[in-house]
This record gives sequence, structure tokens and C-alpha cells, in this order.
Amino acid sequence: MLTSEVLRRDNWASRLPRDARDTLFLLVVIGWIAAMQIPHVPWWCSMLAAGVLGWRTAITLRGQPLPAWPWRLGLLLLTLGATWLSHRTLLGRDAGVTLIVVLLALKTLELRARRDAFVVFFLGFFTLLTHFFFSQSLLTAAGILLALLGLLTALVNAHLPVGRPPLMRSARIAAGMAALGAPIMLVLFLLFPRMAPLWGLPDDANTGRSGLSNRMQVGQIARLVLDDGIALRVRFDGPPPPQSQLYFRGPVLSDFNGIEWRPLRSSFPPDMAPTANLAVRGDPVGYELTLEPHQRRWLLTLDAATQAPEAAGLSASMTPELQWVAAAPVTQLLRYRAQSFTDFRHGPLEASVALQDELTLPPGYNPRTLALAVELRAQHGAGPQNAPALVNAVLDRLRTGGYQYTLEPGEYGANTADEFWFDKRAGFCEHIASSFVILMRAMDIPARLVTGYQGGELNGVDGYWTVRQRDAHAWTEVWLQGQGWVRVDPTSAVAPGRIGAFERLSAPGGVFTGAIGTLNPTLAAQLREVWEAVNNRWNQWVLNYTQGQQLNLLKNLGFSSPSWADLAYVLIGIVVLVSLAGAGWQLWERQQHDPWLRLLQRCQRRLQAAGLDAPAATTPRALATQVQRHFGDTDFSRRVTQWLIRLEALRYAPHSPDTLATLRREWQQLAWPKESPR
Amino acid sequence: MNPLRTLRQRLRRWFHERLPRSDTLTLTQRNVYILPTRAGWMLAVTLLVLLVGSINYQLNLGYLLTFLLAGSAVVGMHIGHANLRGLTLHLTPPAPVHAGQPALLDIRLSSERRRDRHGIGLGVIADGGLGDTHLGWADVPAQGSSTVQVAWTAPRRGVHALPALTALTLFPLGTFRVWTVWRPAATLLVYPAAEQHPPPLPAGQPQAGPTGPSTTTQSPGEFDGVRAYRRGDPQKTIVWKKAAQAFATGRNELVSRDALSAQRQQLWLDFAQTGTHEVEARLSRLAAWVLLADRLGLDYGLRLPGTELPPDQGLAHKTRCLEALATC
Repeated sequence: MLTSEVLRRDNWASRLPRDARDTLFLLVVIGWIAAMQIPHVPWWCSMLAAGVLGWRTAITLRGQPLPAWPWRLGLLLLTLGATWLSHRTLLGRDAGVTLIVVLLALKTLELRARRDAFVVFFLGFFTLLTHFFFSQSLLTAAGILLALLGLLTALVNAHLPVGRPPLMRSARIAAGMAALGAPIMLVLFLLFPRMAPLWGLPDDANTGRSGLSNRMQVGQIARLVLDDGIALRVRFDGPPPPQSQLYFRGPVLSDFNGIEWRPLRSSFPPDMAPTANLAVRGDPVGYELTLEPHQRRWLLTLDAATQAPEAAGLSASMTPELQWVAAAPVTQLLRYRAQSFTDFRHGPLEASVALQDELTLPPGYNPRTLALAVELRAQHGAGPQNAPALVNAVLDRLRTGGYQYTLEPGEYGANTADEFWFDKRAGFCEHIASSFVILMRAMDIPARLVTGYQGGELNGVDGYWTVRQRDAHAWTEVWLQGQGWVRVDPTSAVAPGRIGAFERLSAPGGVFTGAIGTLNPTLAAQLREVWEAVNNRWNQWVLNYTQGQQLNLLKNLGFSSPSWADLAYVLIGIVVLVSLAGAGWQLWERQQHDPWLRLLQRCQRRLQAAGLDAPAATTPRALATQVQRHFGDTDFSRRVTQWLIRLEALRYAPHSPDTLATLRREWQQLAWPKESPR
Repeated sequence: MNPLRTLRQRLRRWFHERLPRSDTLTLTQRNVYILPTRAGWMLAVTLLVLLVGSINYQLNLGYLLTFLLAGSAVVGMHIGHANLRGLTLHLTPPAPVHAGQPALLDIRLSSERRRDRHGIGLGVIADGGLGDTHLGWADVPAQGSSTVQVAWTAPRRGVHALPALTALTLFPLGTFRVWTVWRPAATLLVYPAAEQHPPPLPAGQPQAGPTGPSTTTQSPGEFDGVRAYRRGDPQKTIVWKKAAQAFATGRNELVSRDALSAQRQQLWLDFAQTGTHEVEARLSRLAAWVLLADRLGLDYGLRLPGTELPPDQGLAHKTRCLEALATC
């Protein structure tokens, strides 16, 4: 007979056999897990996984047998071969991710026994972890949570053997388990000791993330300029300095081979190498900076920081070029405190041989620029005393010579400075800065390139100052006698708006931001600010939760000098407390039962132990009859019978002389016969 | 046989012997056991790998994932234990069966909990342990009950104590096996297996009585002493059972007990005269004859070494005879 429910829900899903429905659900979950990896695996891997999952779906829908082992072996060998071709290895992070995605899909072709299903589940859990190699953003976390709940739902569903339970029931149970497991997760997350990697990371653990580079070729920063990704966030203790002073110093590039700028590898012995010779004036600006992992050792600071940035476990040193460098690459979100003086002076004050490095130009490049240098020196005079005049002359030329700031300057040839000064007259910061430095050096003025970030914007929601990859910038420093290294930003001469104002050239956003931005630019900006504030909280509280934060937490809990052992104590203490609470709750719950019923049950259990057949739902009077029959007409049986009748009266008679307490006491005082007759 | 396996069986038997027998068992903290399954160990290894991965790649979200999964597994352990704890098992004493036939044990699972209990399996614990046990599955609704039938085939005739049963659940994640061992108090009476194609019933024996031994001998086939109704037969000689069968099939025939033969001939099913020698084969034949004679509605007596049941008929008599055969 068809029940009304079957008639009502006669869609295709409800017509599938239960096995097929369960398999399809698992395939959907695995599909979701694999789909999230599409941006990070080779195209053939996504195609293969999709093909295998599609094939498996068709097999399920048609009720066909699973493919024989040669198929699986063939596909496995194909995968291994393709992985080798793509990655040139089968080991390591990227090859491993590629392999595990395909293996997860292939394993679905082998869902025969219970054990196979478990292998799929556990492989799935492991694949979830691999997503975090590439992104730990809030969105990734949400996607992973969904996948985890999906896997748990499938697992619960597999353990509901009766009938055809709706998937929603399994989902509810799984969600309940995860919700109850969340406090456990929280405690472990907060208190599980954060340790250093157990063994050396493979080399490829740190690739694939964008950031500044320690080399600069024309066109390289153009990519960064277009990148809306966040490079760092700053929260200033007081009001932020004017935006025109927000120069976050990165690598300083002094070595030019005609094509590429590189950091200086000084040709002088260490004792002759110049020192930073930093002198500061005025009040410092204190701030807390959260640096996105960039896999390099640079610690970006606002120019110029006299003291090393402070963070737990962070040791940093300053290069002669004022750059702060950490002992180890920044592989995870790093938060540090620093103080900077925007008014500062550095570098040797008098001419020194060490400055020779900042005068070197490769022979045979940019002949017209060299000629321009000769011409300018003839106009304004040579020698160190005329250097400021020469710098100003060049900046004037940039302002008035029809030079333009553009993100799309087109391709440059070998003589980039010549092309910039005379032919194209257009470019962005790195063309301008590079050409400026070349011209300065040609005029015998020591000059060098500084890369880093300039500017940023204030997030009105949480008060953080956000600096993006597109704020990456290249500026210059020229050496002037008596002043040391002086910052000159030639880009500001070409496009004053690029520096110090809020207007900037921004790349077109995605479809969503585009649509909202057209309708309501303010709303788009507000939405974005909220989203970034949420993201920032996520970064600050979750991703940046390190050993330092852990020990801080212990400090707040009252440990004066917290250590790993204290973490263990707190963890153990919590486990003990929870266990005690659980036991207490059980006791309390038992108290909640009707005390009269409890007394009756006690009596029943005792009588059962004495050999009476007294099922759970026996009334006191029925028990009394049984006692009479079992023990015969003895003194003991009369007393028990009487007691039972009084127990009944206590519950049902309008007036009973007894109280529960007296009855309980009497029951305890009852003298049981030594040898109860069996 | 594998000595380890023997040892385990012996341990299990020793453990089972210690349990009190009872037809109703309420599962509490004391009699519900829990251990991780193989899948549970696999999950533990997975968690360890996830943890090492998170440590090595310094993934804070990896920690979150690992700990959420671990937390869910811990919660799952409690849910699994609570799934069985508080359940009441009640066994209805099973009806007797013939040797070789499976006995159906009706087990009622009742729950007072306000939430459903899922995926509870019941079965007779096999010699190979829980892993080999064949289970019947049931869900128990909130504050309700459901019934599971477990089949068990007794090894031979006789009165058998029921084997140890188990109630088991893998719910919700399959990572923990929660189970109990239950020895019901009820016994199962197993009659001898009825012979498949027994020879015809033995000839009736002349009744020892005041009329003395009769000279009439009956040819085989007329042993039953019934004949068509003849006008004038007293009502009490009519075989009403047969009459009812006849009416049911549309014939209006009455059958009378042949007064003569009924008085003089008595059907005795005798252990000594079954035509075989082996004890079980004899009992098997006698059982078949009892069933046959009962079906024919005859009076029959049973003679066993040390027991004699005088001729009679009806369900109670049949049961008595089969019981005698089962326990002799």
C-alpha cells in the first residue's frame, strides 16, 4: 500500500533506492571538496576528478556494477604520470594536493565494503586540510565547515541502518554533534601548545603567494599595482601621520645590471661598509602592524623605526639601508608593535668610498640619458654642492616635460631610462624611479631605489589602516652632502595624486562589486569596509593566534610566568572540571526523578535480587502479593507487605500518616532474612 | 583451532557465565560497554595526521578543523553510549520448535527517553565474537517501543537455556561500538525433528479389557477405526472434527468412530516398535507419528522408556507427547 507520504513526495530523489541516494549525497560532498581545489590544481586534475565523479554518478543512477580493477589501476597510473609531468615530482605539497584530489575521486569507484566508505571519509577529512595550504580566509573556512558537515552527515547516515531515514535527520544529528563539539574545539584551540614544525618544511611550502620582490624588472610591480589583496594592516596608537609620510620600507635596491635592480651586495669588507647612522627628531608614532605572510624575511615598518619590531618569538635586525629583517621568513600572519619617527636622517653625512656602490651604472646602456646628465651638469654645475639644484632640475623636468603617470606604459626595450626620458614619457612608479636613479647616478649623485608600500586607507568600521598590494610603490633616495640619504619620490612630481591623496587608480573589481559600485558607490564602499573589518577580526583572533597569544592568555588567567607545562595543567584542569560537572549533572538528573518512584524502584530491585519476578511496572500492592507468595507467611513477609501497603497509601490515600522519609528509613532498617528462599 | 581464538572464546564464556539471567534488562552505565572500532582507530590516525600537518605547516585553521573533528568524535562517543543507555530489553518466552528449525525470539525494546534511539542491532552472540554476529536492526521511537525478531537454531532437541544475546549500536559515526551482553532467563523447548517421510502409523493394539482379546485383526489402512456414518450411530461416536472438515469442503458426510474397533483397538506409538534402532531416529519418527495422528484426530498413546502417556487426543496431549519426546 502506498502511504500518503510516498504519494506526496514523488520526486525523483525519493524514487531512488536508499543506497543510490546515499551514494549520490556522498558524491555531491566529495564534488564540493574537489571543486574548492580547482584554482590550486592543474586543469587536468579537475577534469579527471569531475569525469570520475560523473562516471560514478551515472553508475549509481543506472545501477550498473562498479568498474573492474584494471580501470582503477589504469586511471591511477595515468594520474601518477600526469602529476609527474605537471610537477616533476610525486612528493611535496603541490603534487600531494593534486594526487589526493584525484585519489579521493578514484576511491569512490571502489565503494564496496564498509571499510572503503571509511577510507573515503577519512581521505576527505584529510583533503579538507590541504585547502588551508592556499587560503585561510573566512570564506575558505565557511566552505570547509560546509564540507565537514557534509561528510559527518554522510557518516551518520551510514549508521542509520533501518528503513530510509531522511537526509535532513542525519544532517541535524551531524550539526548537533559539531555544535556540541565546538566548545571542545575552542578549548583545544586555545590551549593546545603551539609548537615549531616537527621537521623541516619542504621547500615548496612557501611558494605561490604574491608580495614585494627583492628584484625589480620593469613591469613587475604593475601586477602588484593591480592586486587588491591586503599586504598589511596598521593600527596607530594616536592619530595617523599624514598620508604623504606613510612610506613602509621594503627592500632597497642598489645594484643595477641594465635590466634588473637587485639589493646591494657590497664589494667592501664588512668593517668598511656604511652604517645606518640613523638620527631621529620629534615624537615617535607607535603602531601595531599585522603583516600578511609573504614568505620573505622583511618586516615592513613605517620610515624610520629605531627599535626592532616587537612580537613574541620575533628577532629582527636592521640593515644599513634601514630595512628591518626577521631571522626567519614570515610564513604566517604576523602581528608586531613598532615605533617610528617620520622626521629622521640617515646615512653618512660626508662623502665616503662606500657610496661608490650607489654610483655604479652598467656600461653600454641608456646613452641618451648619460648625454642628458652631461647637459644638465653643464647647466647647473657639477660637484656635491650643486646636487640639490640638479635634483630639483630633474623633478622640474618631470613636472613640466609632459611626463604622464599610467598603469599601461606598454613594453619597454633595453634602454628603459632613455625610452622613459625621451620617447614614451609615460610610466608608473618603477619606470619613473628607475629612470630617476639612473639619471642621478649619471650626474655623479649617489642614488638608490627603495621599494615598499605607500599610503593605504582607513577602514571606518574598525579603525584599521589597510595597505594593499596595489599600494606597492618604488621611490628613491639620493645622497646629499651634509644631509645623508634623502627620500625623493619622483612619481609625485609626475602624478601628484598618486602620493598623499586618497584618489588612486584602482583596477576594475569583480562582477559583484562592479554592479553594486555602479548602483551605489557609497554602499559598495561601506559593504567592503564591513567585510574587511570582519576579515581583519578573523585574522587577528584566529589566524594570528600563536604561542605568544597563548601565553598572554595564561598571563590573563593569572600565571605569572606561563610555560608549556602550565598549558597542560589548564587543559587537565578543564577536563577534570568538565568530568565533575558531568557527574554532578547526572546526580542532579537522578534527583529530578520522582522520589516516590525511586523508592519503589529500590524496593523492586532488592526484591528482584531476592528472586522475585517483579517487572518494572509492578504496583506496590501487586508486589505485596508476590512477596506473600514468595516468602510465605513469615514475619518478614508481613512487614514487607505492610510497608508496601503504606507506600501505596502515601501516594494514593487522601491522608497518610507516613512521610517518604520515614518509609525510606524503615526500608533501610528492614532485617532481611539471611538465606532468602529461592 | 587457533589457540588464541580458543582462549578468547573461553574468556567470553567465562564472562557470560557471570551475568545473571533475566528476561528484562534495563541498560545502565554498568552493563553498557564501549570500545573504539577499527574505523575509530582509523579516525584517530587521521586526526593525528591532521594535527601533524597543522603543526608542520603552521595552519591555525588546520588546528580548528582537527579539533572540531575530534570534538565531534568525542560527542559522538557520548551520543552512542546514550543511544543504548536507559533502553529496556524484554524477551517474550519463545514458543517451542522442532530441532533444526530456527526459534524466533521476540525482543521488545522500550525507551523512556524523549529523543529517538537510532540503529540498534540485536543478535545472538556468535562463537566468533561480536564481529561475526548477525544482527537485526531497529530504531526505537521516543518514549515508545519497537520489536526485533532474532532467530536462533538450537543444536539439538531438549530444553535449552537461551544463548547470550547482544544489543549493539555503531550510531552515530561508527567509530565506537557500544554494546551490552544479555543472558535471558527464558528457556527454549526443542522437540525432536519430525521425520520427513515417516512410514504409516503402526497398527492398533487390542485393548486389554473385560471383553478380552479380540480375534478381529484389521488390515493396514483401516487402523483408524472410522467409517461412514450409519443411521442409528450414537451421537457421541461421530467424529465431529472430521465432520467439520467435510462440511467445509462442501460434502455432507459424517464419519463415525467404529465402536468396535474404537473399543478394541488402541493406537500406541511405542519407542520399542519404530522399526529403527538409533535413538534419535526413533524419536524423530515418533514425533512425526504424533503429528500425523494428531492431524488425523486419532486417540494415541505414547510409550517411551520410563514414561507412558495413555491414549488421548487434542492439543494439550500433543504438546505433552512432544515434550516427553524432547526431554526423554
